[in-house]
Amino acid sequence: MSELYRELTELLERALYVRDIKGEDWQEISAVVGFLQELREKVYELPGEELRKRFSLLKEKLVALETLAAETLSPYEIVKITRHPQRFTLQDILENVYDNYTELGGEGEINLDPAVVVARAMISRRVGDKIYMHQVMVIGHEKGHGEEFRRGGSAKPWGNEKALHYMKIAETEGIPIHFYIFTPGAYPIEDPPGAAQQIARNLYTMAKLKVPMISFISEGGSGGAEAIGLADLRLMASRGYYSVISPEGAAAIEAKLKSGRPPRELVEKCARNLRLTAEDNLRLGTIDRIVPEPPLGARRQDYGFFKRLRYEMIRATDEVVLQTKSLRTFRKYVLSRKNGTEEVPEDFGIYVNWELTEDEKEILLENRSRKYREMGRWAVCGKESTFKHYLEKSHDLGLKVFHGLRYGVFKQSHRALRRMFEELTQESSALLKPVSDPVKTVYNLLSGKKRRIPKVVSWIERPEGPEELYVSPLALEDRTVTCPNAETHGCPDLWVPDLYGEFCGVCPNCGYHFPLEYQWYLNNLFDRGSVREFNEGLSSGNPLNFEGYAEKLAKARKSTGKNSAMLTFEAKIGGISLIVAMLIADFRQGTVGVAEGEKFIRACDRARITRRPLLALIHTTGGIRIHEGTLGVIQMPRCTVAVREYVDSGGLYIVLYDNNSYAGPVASFLGCAPYQFALRSTRLGFAGPRVIRETTGEEVPPDYHSAENALRRGHIQGVWDRRELRLKLYEALLTMGGRNLYYR
Amino acid sequence: MAIDHLKINQLLQRLRSRPYRIYEVKTPHTGYLREFLVKEGTEVKGPRGKWREIPGTPLFTLEREKNLKTIKARVSGTIHNLRTELEGRFVEAEEVVLEIRHPLSQEEVISEFLRETLILITAPETARYLLAPEIEKRIRKEGLGKVFVKPNEEILIMSFMKRETPIVHTGETMVIFRIFFTPQEVVTAGEPLLGLCLQEEVPYLERVISRICEEWPEK
Amino acid sequence: MKDRVLIANRGEIALRIMEACEELGLDYVVVYTRPDEESLHVRKAKRKYRIADYRDPNELLSVADEAKCTAIHPGYGFLAEDFRFARRVVKRSRPLTFIGPRWEVIRDLGSKLNVKRLAKELDIPVIPGTTEPLYNEIEAEARAEELFEWLRESGEEDPRLLIKASAGGGGMGIEEVRELEEVRPVFRRVRAYAKRLFGDEGVIIEAKISRFQHLEVQLLGTPHGELVHFGTRNCTIQSPGRQKRIEIAPGLDPQFVNYSFDADALLAEIINHSLKLAEAVSYDSVGTWEWLITPEGRAYLMEVNTRIQVENEISAKISQVKSQTVNLIKEQIRIALGDKLRYQQKDIHFSGTAIELRLVAEDTQRNFKPLSGTITRFSWEKHPWLTVRTHVPQDKPYTIPTEYDPNLALAIVWGKDTKEAQQRALVFLEEVIIEGKRSQGEPLVTNVSFLKNKLTEILRFPE
Repeated sequence: MSELYRELTELLERALYVRDIKGEDWQEISAVVGFLQELREKVYELPGEELRKRFSLLKEKLVALETLAAETLSPYEIVKITRHPQRFTLQDILENVYDNYTELGGEGEINLDPAVVVARAMISRRVGDKIYMHQVMVIGHEKGHGEEFRRGGSAKPWGNEKALHYMKIAETEGIPIHFYIFTPGAYPIEDPPGAAQQIARNLYTMAKLKVPMISFISEGGSGGAEAIGLADLRLMASRGYYSVISPEGAAAIEAKLKSGRPPRELVEKCARNLRLTAEDNLRLGTIDRIVPEPPLGARRQDYGFFKRLRYEMIRATDEVVLQTKSLRTFRKYVLSRKNGTEEVPEDFGIYVNWELTEDEKEILLENRSRKYREMGRWAVCGKESTFKHYLEKSHDLGLKVFHGLRYGVFKQSHRALRRMFEELTQESSALLKPVSDPVKTVYNLLSGKKRRIPKVVSWIERPEGPEELYVSPLALEDRTVTCPNAETHGCPDLWVPDLYGEFCGVCPNCGYHFPLEYQWYLNNLFDRGSVREFNEGLSSGNPLNFEGYAEKLAKARKSTGKNSAMLTFEAKIGGISLIVAMLIADFRQGTVGVAEGEKFIRACDRARITRRPLLALIHTTGGIRIHEGTLGVIQMPRCTVAVREYVDSGGLYIVLYDNNSYAGPVASFLGCAPYQFALRSTRLGFAGPRVIRETTGEEVPPDYHSAENALRRGHIQGVWDRRELRLKLYEALLTMGGRNLYYR
Repeated sequence: MAIDHLKINQLLQRLRSRPYRIYEVKTPHTGYLREFLVKEGTEVKGPRGKWREIPGTPLFTLEREKNLKTIKARVSGTIHNLRTELEGRFVEAEEVVLEIRHPLSQEEVISEFLRETLILITAPETARYLLAPEIEKRIRKEGLGKVFVKPNEEILIMSFMKRETPIVHTGETMVIFRIFFTPQEVVTAGEPLLGLCLQEEVPYLERVISRICEEWPEK
Repeated sequence: MKDRVLIANRGEIALRIMEACEELGLDYVVVYTRPDEESLHVRKAKRKYRIADYRDPNELLSVADEAKCTAIHPGYGFLAEDFRFARRVVKRSRPLTFIGPRWEVIRDLGSKLNVKRLAKELDIPVIPGTTEPLYNEIEAEARAEELFEWLRESGEEDPRLLIKASAGGGGMGIEEVRELEEVRPVFRRVRAYAKRLFGDEGVIIEAKISRFQHLEVQLLGTPHGELVHFGTRNCTIQSPGRQKRIEIAPGLDPQFVNYSFDADALLAEIINHSLKLAEAVSYDSVGTWEWLITPEGRAYLMEVNTRIQVENEISAKISQVKSQTVNLIKEQIRIALGDKLRYQQKDIHFSGTAIELRLVAEDTQRNFKPLSGTITRFSWEKHPWLTVRTHVPQDKPYTIPTEYDPNLALAIVWGKDTKEAQQRALVFLEEVIIEGKRSQGEPLVTNVSFLKNKLTEILRFPE
């Protein structure tokens, strides 16, 4: 009888699980649950035979329902599977996938951050009758099965810092890292090292970490996931989700809710629109492979799944390692695998040593760079016509040769010269050398005796201010406005033509910065007439077919006359030419999607090739654009890789924040910059006050995200005044940055 | 120092008999008083929230040079003597527009008590005052009731007739217990600026304050 | 339509503008703040508005519109030399006449550095020093070295330089250096101070002239291109805070003092230079060109004041146009409203000496500390040679507001020569009675005895 009781309990749990996923009103699930409960209550009363009969019938019914449930799973139901307390967690993986592990940096509740677990672990494979043990570093989020202190796997800033610390240890020891992503998102607090800034630092480090990294996503909540997500191979659980935002969060934004819950139908719709399932992500190219789970998701007792996961993790690591070795062995190895759904073999048949030589490490990094640069690139729209594109490319090539010779050769830098020729030959083979212009330029430079020395502007000279001030359209009104600080600082009302004219939108009494349109910066920050936009044709598309997004985009295009929120251009400040990437508020609140990321990457590359300083001028950014889903999220690692390569090449990367800068971009390619400055009255951080309130349950002070507090926390290096912005930038260009700038 | 219960009782009794204060709301500057947003007898609130981030109840709108401003209540209470005849008219600066009858809060009763108990530094002239930068920094760091001021130390700066004159502490070493003025606002001569006490008196003062808190519960 | 002038000032200058308007037959409106309620300028005006602050342009323009004014007289101080205010007055959707120079002139002559550059272009002598703001110490040191060299060559035994905030004024942000080694630290200090106080790091370096007299040239131009001068003034006697206390017109008097140079020629020179600059910028109102002259007879242009000066009346007292006395404020208003000058330089004649004494409630024994309190008695003997300008009522007690300078009155004395003017000024100072109490009850002191002492030193180079 107790046997049956146990089976009944199990069955009831399964039924409850289905009810949790599909909802109470789905099919007869509630009835089945009711019958099972009744049956269990009466287990000692009913005659054995009837009991068995009814049990079999119910079981049959439940199995049928389970099958139906799995067949009709909606994206939002998958989200619910992923979040279910019965779902496997990292702790289960450590127990079942690895042979032996030691938790590092805390255990259970006694922990720097219980939401982030790090372990030194062994994973084994059988080849013939031999067992091989591999050492790996396991880093991931621990959701716990309902343990309050794990905060559902929301890493605090220092939790991500802990992750970074052990990544570096793995690098020192030369062992691969297995990342397990189980997070609804990072815990959105600004306390040092800062939610956004720490994620940015993690990405920046991972971009060039010299060990193989594999990540496995069960719950991939946007920026929080990326903090340990920039891996060489990205696996995903078939019933996991990976998304730019929770469906509830997206619904709140779509419904423009200030507080409260969005309606269920809208949440469902958003979950569909976000394309957050494993299949969707594989199709979008944001992950590499799906690890199959049981139809309704793997739970903690699904040992078959763990066996499969072990196999997939080892295989993935093998592939990453082999790709750095000879291509032939890699191909052979890949071919040996059938199709991803095959049974997990007991015998691996092959042993791969996971240690890399120095040269292999270089290849690993190159592979990684290529992987992220290519990821999701298909979604970039509005490429120029092939002819134009062709010309532009050859123009770039010319630039590369020109600048390489001009500033590289004369410095007798062999390394630079070698790199330059490498780049040259790669590009040339693609172009089949049809263009004679750049070659001529090179010829002239080499044979001509006139070696033009670039005019180095003495730091005593100051850049001349533009002769004629650009007049902001805001200034053309005879009225006055009140400074927001009038109450506390006693500021007089300001006459609008003065404020938006000579005062540069700054209250002369307290220094409050009123927001200004992005055109003001284009006209006042850079030398007159020096701004030359490039790649303006690249545009945001609607890669997810997100309902209503195409119309929103069209509207933004029409009102701004721009194709994306990111403007990239060449400009000069005091005669020093630089590359600028600017996010503008006017285009969908400066949110970042595929086109914005791609333009930023191309700006990084142009700056690197031409040896220009790179300025990221953030008029405003509202984060990653939710309508492009994970294709938006992957702009975080993509752009960080590109900017890291730029900085490593000896450039100068400066970020300047204005107005509002939040979320993804700050937590990646902006927050990783060695030099970050903010204009006074800027607000910057990870999440806005509403999200913080909803996540942490606490109110934050009104100045929580102020530039001054960001400076106090060490998130930025300085607070600048708009009136002297040009001068400050000019000084920064002269005094900061790497060795490889054209004017050094 | 022993607790002078008699004196405290007298003070509390006096405050109980007239537990409110009248605040006149004046126009901050000239302009057209466009619209009253309250009526006679309306209950209004002052700025609220942990950081006083929620502004007070809007009282009326005043427009000058095409800038329509909403004048908000700075204290809570009931509206009285609303001068409805001003609506729609041009008003001069510092015109009394209405009164707020403000019930005294616990905090204000404490303030009242401290004014009578602490050693006060009063305004020598009708002028604007500021804390000396050094003192201000220390108070910001350590908080009131913890910062000492030594003899001959600059404690305040008086901004008077376009000149800034330091005010030096003359007594023995004391603790700054209370600030009674708002920086950059004109303080009438003789009004208290700071309340000081000896270090050994701090626990006594804190005991009395907790007594007041019991006797005058926050509504 | 009859013009209506908003008098955007207080005290005695408001009263003088009111008087000028009355004499010109113009309407006027007065503004005042709560502490000024008892001032005579409020009591005497028929139309008046209480405002929050004389410095707030929004208050003035709001009243100007409500009172249907057509022009604004800014007086001196407050917004008189704020080119943005002048510009807003004429550029707003309901423009008014600004009684003063064009805003461009106020802007261009308002910057001392710009005046220096302009003067150099016109070969007008200025104090040797930088004409562009300096921002870094290497350059500053180089300039300082040159200046020390120049001072030594011109025979200065103890050469000194002044390091100033280029955006500064009124004696703030100025430090003195005696040797090159000091330049760098002082430069940094002044630069930091300038940044903090004026929001601009620019610093200038000038040679310090140790002994000098402070002279002024009074000009009057019109938008029609007419330009005349009303002679010179000497404002050497000042409080340590560089506020003028005694002014004399004319600026030099060889009958009264022996000079080592030709005084008349020097006066003619500074007048001509001033006219030259005024002409170059098409100066179109009253204005004062400030000069510094050395005992050797060298003159340097210091700055231009693009407003009516406190001491304008002493120039008026010694000038006559076609045998008529002049009122420069009336002239300023008349010209601003579009009238022509109707006379030429040759119609202006000068006679005698005029002295202005500024009576101030200040403790001259204690570093000229400004005092507040209540004036209980204020009277003086009437004389045909005496004009007293005051906003302090004589018939009831008056409390000095603490928000503003404690100026009580101006006494303007005329004599057929300097000696007579000096004696008469002394007579006035003996006869004037000012009594009052301070807030704590002690008697209110004034600078009368200081003025008496200083009267003996007029027109002489300070030791």
